[in-house]
Order: sequence, then structure tokens, then C-alpha cells
Amino acid sequence: MIARDGEITLGLSQPEVGQGSYTVLPQILADELDADWQRVKVRFVTGRDAYKIAFKNEPPVQKEGASMSTTVLYARLRTAGAQAREVLIRAAADHWKVTADQCRADKGFVVGPQGQRLSYGALAAAAAKLPLAASPPLKQRADFALIGKPLARLDTVAKCTGTAVFGIDVVVPGMLYGAIQSAPSFTGSLTAIRNEAEILKLPGVRAIVRLPAVHVANEEPGSQHPGTAQSPRHNAVCVVADRFWQAKRAAEALDLVFDPGAGGDLSTAKIDGLLQTAMMADKTVTAVETGRPREILQERASSIIERRFTVPHVTHAPLEPVNATASWKDGAVEVWGPIQAVATCQDAIVASLGIKADAIKLNVTFLGGSFGRKIVPDYVVQAVHASKAVGRPVKLIRTREQDLRHGIFRVNAGGRFRAVLDQRGYPLAVQARVVGQSLFGATRKSWLDQTPEGAWDESMVDGIYNQDYRLPNFLVETVDTPLPVPVYFMRSVGSTAAVFFWESFISELAHRAGIDQYIYRRELLADNPLALRVLDAVAEAAQWKSPPTSGMARGISYNCYVGRGGRFRTYVAQVVELEPVGDRLAVKRVFCAVDPGLTVNPNTLTAQIQGGIGFAMTTALLSRITFANGGAEQSNFLDYPLLAIDGMPEIVPIILPSDRPPQGFGEVVLAPLAPAIAQALLLASGRRIDSMPLPAAAFRRPT
Amino acid sequence: MKLSLRINGAARQVEVDGDTPLLWVLREELGLLGTKFGCGAAFCGACTVLMGDVPVRSCSLPVSEVGDGAVTTIEGIAGREAMAVQRAWIAGDVPQCGYCQSGQIMGAIALLKATKRPTDSDIDQAMSGNLCRCATYVRIREAIHAAARDLEGPR
Repeated sequence: MIARDGEITLGLSQPEVGQGSYTVLPQILADELDADWQRVKVRFVTGRDAYKIAFKNEPPVQKEGASMSTTVLYARLRTAGAQAREVLIRAAADHWKVTADQCRADKGFVVGPQGQRLSYGALAAAAAKLPLAASPPLKQRADFALIGKPLARLDTVAKCTGTAVFGIDVVVPGMLYGAIQSAPSFTGSLTAIRNEAEILKLPGVRAIVRLPAVHVANEEPGSQHPGTAQSPRHNAVCVVADRFWQAKRAAEALDLVFDPGAGGDLSTAKIDGLLQTAMMADKTVTAVETGRPREILQERASSIIERRFTVPHVTHAPLEPVNATASWKDGAVEVWGPIQAVATCQDAIVASLGIKADAIKLNVTFLGGSFGRKIVPDYVVQAVHASKAVGRPVKLIRTREQDLRHGIFRVNAGGRFRAVLDQRGYPLAVQARVVGQSLFGATRKSWLDQTPEGAWDESMVDGIYNQDYRLPNFLVETVDTPLPVPVYFMRSVGSTAAVFFWESFISELAHRAGIDQYIYRRELLADNPLALRVLDAVAEAAQWKSPPTSGMARGISYNCYVGRGGRFRTYVAQVVELEPVGDRLAVKRVFCAVDPGLTVNPNTLTAQIQGGIGFAMTTALLSRITFANGGAEQSNFLDYPLLAIDGMPEIVPIILPSDRPPQGFGEVVLAPLAPAIAQALLLASGRRIDSMPLPAAAFRRPT
Repeated sequence: MKLSLRINGAARQVEVDGDTPLLWVLREELGLLGTKFGCGAAFCGACTVLMGDVPVRSCSLPVSEVGDGAVTTIEGIAGREAMAVQRAWIAGDVPQCGYCQSGQIMGAIALLKATKRPTDSDIDQAMSGNLCRCATYVRIREAIHAAARDLEGPR
């Protein structure tokens, strides 16, 4: 929208979760529009078809995820900007009675043949009446004024002055506050509230509301594990009060009785047992088979190199706990909140409340972190039920404990890898098996790849089934071990586990072959110039060819992150350096070379490299969810710690120029970190690491 | 209970349950929403405010214990150190999601009031209780050093 005074407001369909869409997407449009960047404002918008995107073959919806926003919207935003510029120029040409090609755009003005100028604000009304060109001419890269520049983020000032409005900051007149208590087990249902009358008498308490269970990934409710899909059941209770503290205290004082349900015996021991069994199972689903891997492995059984790995469930833990404010009135509802996927949220309200989609109005705020968590709208649906029950607006806030213990998790995984090497020491045949709870199996059966043997989930083997190393005989297999754990996509999805397994196994093979880790990977990527480019760039920056300084441990890793449906390919290589600190080794520096296609904004991209590696540090070193009695055991940052500033390494980003359009970036730097650290420890001490979080004992300095 | 508090240089009267943490009084009674709720147990630092010059976790401080302590929130920061920190934070484009940043800024102000030219190790010690899930730590460290240089003025 262009105002008369020349201020341009861009509607942003994508949420801002910290990734920088609030700046980068407007930057693309404003460049083609030739807007004055100082006059650009942004607001979040919902509700129109133009805001919808698809990742692969599925119907388009309004959502953010899979690192797709810039990749998918780049061309659309440029076209929109160019269309608007074109009608503004035509409007000016009409006014001056000249032809459009005698005029040009210049930072919010159209300049005519005699140098006369009209502002976009003055032209907007006339331009709006002109038909848009279907495919207006786009700028050449050399003519970009904003794309490629390290522009400051548009949301920084608000976030440094405390004025940015997150979901938790929404204020609606007359609103009450809600706090919940949830069933201890994922399959639990409420059978009784023993002290309802007493709780209702506590200060400020207005109501006690039984909350129906919400499908975790409601896009395909049929996909849910049977234990979690049974309906109707109530699995949480909300206390509504005048103030949040009153609601929280009252909720904690509730004396609730739950039936643990079919998954009440879920435990970490049980889950680990399933993983170990699946790793050795006879029946698997083949995802990839090239050459004669089975035959060669059988023929040369005595020289097989084998490694097994596991990673636990982990969770997103955004710093803003999930929360939402809902206002129910006469069968319609308005919602404000930190919502990552508008469409998913709307569908969930429709499914749970039985109202029509057009009776729902959603307002998206800034998100205080998400990493995939705030796509799942369980907390929004709970707020709507609470508001409906009391007939007033309710802001429902989960405490950290309710957010973490009763939240959404990333799947676990196990890996069993076998190989034989050729005479030179390079892989002749490789068998890669990944097992564990299947994310797609639990939440999106339609995304599974079907084979005659059964279905496989590409996210389980992401970075393996589509890996880049030259392997003449290659077998990739999966085994799904369904669990009643509510799971959903988490930043970098399956690749954090799969690439840890895969790169650790490649490290093992190089180590056994007695070949330098960089040279080994280089040889296996010899046919792939883009892969070699990032690998060489990181090795050069880190001076890999010179021996490490005394006491230093070093590791190198590579991954190409392939976007959903092959929509993008982002190449990443890392070198980590560990230095002695007391009697331990600590990660002190990470070099990270990336080929992200065209870099729209080097400033936000660099932040993604720095922050992505910090996020990966938490997963690599600290994160583990354990289970007992059907539920998760961790509840706050004491038992689910996050990396703090004292553990943050120095980051050296190396951003390579590229002729390709922008590729996805929000998730790509995470996966290579853990295997690079594990390799450094292997080279320094001979210790083999087969699990995440990397065990603390592995970081003891070698004697 | 009725309480009189000193918030951002002004006397404010509130009537709340005495065990209510200062955080919720700031947010819900006084409308000061820049101070955030992260964990409710003083593990994450998102709720950090200053009491005098000392950083405190307002999520775990019952309002009845605030007494006549001078409380400063992100909305009320003033003075040389505060302005230097805020400038450095903006110039360095520190935030990503931004949720923890009010607390980070309060922590950095307290550090610079106590230590004119903090070392990396001073920063680690003072700031390790302020978690950032986006891991903007590289920029937080740079911004603190930049603010310290700024405070020393041109040499």
C-alpha cells in the first residue's frame, strides 16, 4: 500500500521468528519497486490466496517452514515490485503526456524526460486504476539497489526498546488469563477434578475449563498414532483468572485424576529397546539401492566396517513459551498470537470447535522463537476453548514446565552403517540404515514415499538418501518404530541426526583408510564442483593443510541441504577447532563456508550462520528428552539446558558468491556441526562417539 | 495487598497478592510489557530488570520483597551506560527473534556499570544467565565491547 505521503506499507505473509523475513522479503520487493527504503513499513497479513505457498505437490497454504520463504517468494516478490513500478511509471507518463519509456523510477519518485518528478504517493491513486502487466521486465543483478546489501533489520529498534509485540504481549480489553495443567502421559485422559469447588474459591479464579485433546499435526488427523488420536478425550484443564499469577497458582493446586491411556508405559528404556531391535531387523524398507551393495557386503563380510549411532528425542524450546489470546463471540473467534502457520492454525480451530473457517480471524504477532514449534497450534485451540467457556477474551500462557514437558518433540533415531573399502581405501559398498519414530509416519502419511516393501520417510535419511559422495554400490534403508510421542518438524528436521550418523561414518572410513579427512571427502566429491567449492573454501580459511597448533583438535564436515521436493540446494562445509580449557577440550572456533545462491542480505545471512551454529551446539552437546510413565521427564532449563554465551564459539562465516537464485538458509548450517566435533575428538583421542548429545567424557583432554 | 513501588523513577501504587512475582506486576498491573516471561525460575534471564544497579530476575522476586528498591525496566533505561548499550545493540543488529533481548540489554547495562572495560571472561561470567535460543551471542559479545569503547570516548 502506498500512502499519499509516500510511505509504503508492505503486507508480510510470512511470520518473523528471528530468521529475518521481516526485512529480507520487503527488501526484495522494494528493490524492484525502486522504493525509498527509508519509507518502507511492514505489517503482518493473513487471509488472502496471494499469501499461500506450496513446498512440493501439496495444496498451497499460508505458512512458513522448510526454509522456503525466500526461495519460493523471490520471483513472486520481484514480479509484484516490478508490476507496481511499471504502473507508477505509466501513471506519471499519462500525467505528463509522454511515453512510459521516456520515464524512469528513482527511489520513490518517477522522473520524466525533462527531469520533472512525481512521488509514488502522488501517483498511487492513478496507478491503482491501471491494469498490471503479467510479466513486467525485471532488473538485471547489476542494477539491484537493495538486494545483496547488508541492510539493517527493520525490527531491530523495536526489539531493543522493548516495544516489539510478541504473542505474550497482546492486550485485549476485558481479557482474562489462563494457565493449564496437562495429563502426565501423552495418551492420558482426564477422569476427575477432585477439588473443583475449592479451586473456584481461590482469589481471582473465574472458571475451570476441561480442554479436549488437540491433534498435534492436524493437517492429517488420520496419521496420528492410534493412542493419541482417540477422541473425544480431555487431556488438560485450564484455570481462567483475573491475573496470570492467580491462574497459574490455581492450576498448580488442581487435584486431577488421569487415566494414562494406551501409552502409559512409555519409557526411555522401551524406546531404546525398539531402536536397537530395529537396527538389527530383517525387514526394512529400501529407500535407495544402486549397484550391488548387498552382494558385495555378503561376499566381503569379513572386512566390513560397522558403526551404530543413536540420537534421542529433543525439543524446540523457544524462549517465548507458547501462548495465545482468543476472543470468542457469537460463534466467531478472533485470535492473536505467535503463529508460524496460519493455515494449520485455522484448520485446527475448525476441527476442534466445529466452526467455519470464515468465522475465524487470526492476527500474527512477532514470534519469540519457534524453530517449528509454533506451527503446531495446540495452544491456540486451548485458548479458544477457554474463551468460549467464559465468554470473554482469554490469554492462555503455558508455563515453561507446561510448554516443555507437555510440548512437541523432534523424533529420535538410530543408525547402523556398514561398508567395505576398495584397495585405495574409498567406499566400495555402503549400507546405511536409519530407524526410529517416523515424523511423516506420525504426522503426514501423504508425504511418505511408497514402495512395494512399504513406505519410507525421506526426513529420516535426509542428507543420506540424497547425499553427494561418489558411492558405486549404495543401499539406504529405513525402519519406522511408531511411538505415542507427539512429534513435529524442528529446525533442520531429520538432517541433524542423519548427517551426524553419515558424516561420522565417513570420518570412520577415512580414519580406517589412513587418509586425511579433507582429502577423503574431496576425492568422493570430485565430480561435484559446487560441493568442492565450499569444501575447499572452508579448508583454505581454516588452513587445514597446515597442522593444527599444539593441543588443538580439528574436524571437517560437509553437507548439501536439499529443500523439500528438491526446491533448493544449499552447500555447507565446516571446520571446528577445539582448544584445551583446563582438563577438557572446548569448541572455540567454527569456520563455516556456504553457497546459498544469491545472498539477498549478508547481514541476516551471517546472523543465521552464527545463530544456527549456536543452536546446533545446544543439540550436539546438551539436549536430551527422556521418558517415563508415558510422558517426558524434563521441564525447565535446569534439566533441559540451552547453550549460554560462555559456550559460544567464535564463528568465521565464508559466504560464496553465486549466480543461482536464493536458496533456503534457515536450517542448513546445523547438521554438519556435531559430526565435525565428533571427528575432531576421534582424531585427537581415538575416541569414537556414537550418540548425541556428545558425551561429556569424550571431551576430556587426551593424556 | 497495597504496595507502593518505585518503577522507572516514578512512584506506582498497585494492589496485588503479595506473592505475585515482580514480573507479573510490571506486565499486567503497570503495562510494562518489555520485560519477558521465559522460565519462571530464574534460569533464563528474559525477565531481567535492574534493582538499583543490580540485575535481578523479576520472575522469581515476590513483589512484597521489592520494598523501596528502585526498579528499572527496558522502558525506563537512562544514563550513559544504558544509552551506549542500546546504541551498540541497534548498530550491531543484535536481535533475531528478539524475545530475550530486553533481559540481555539489562544484563549488559549492569555489567558496564560495574566493569568499565569487561574482558571476554567478564562477559561470560556476567551474561551466562541470559539465554538466547537464537544464539545471538556473537553479536551480544561484540555489542558489549562496542558499548565499552563508546563509553571510554575518543582516545
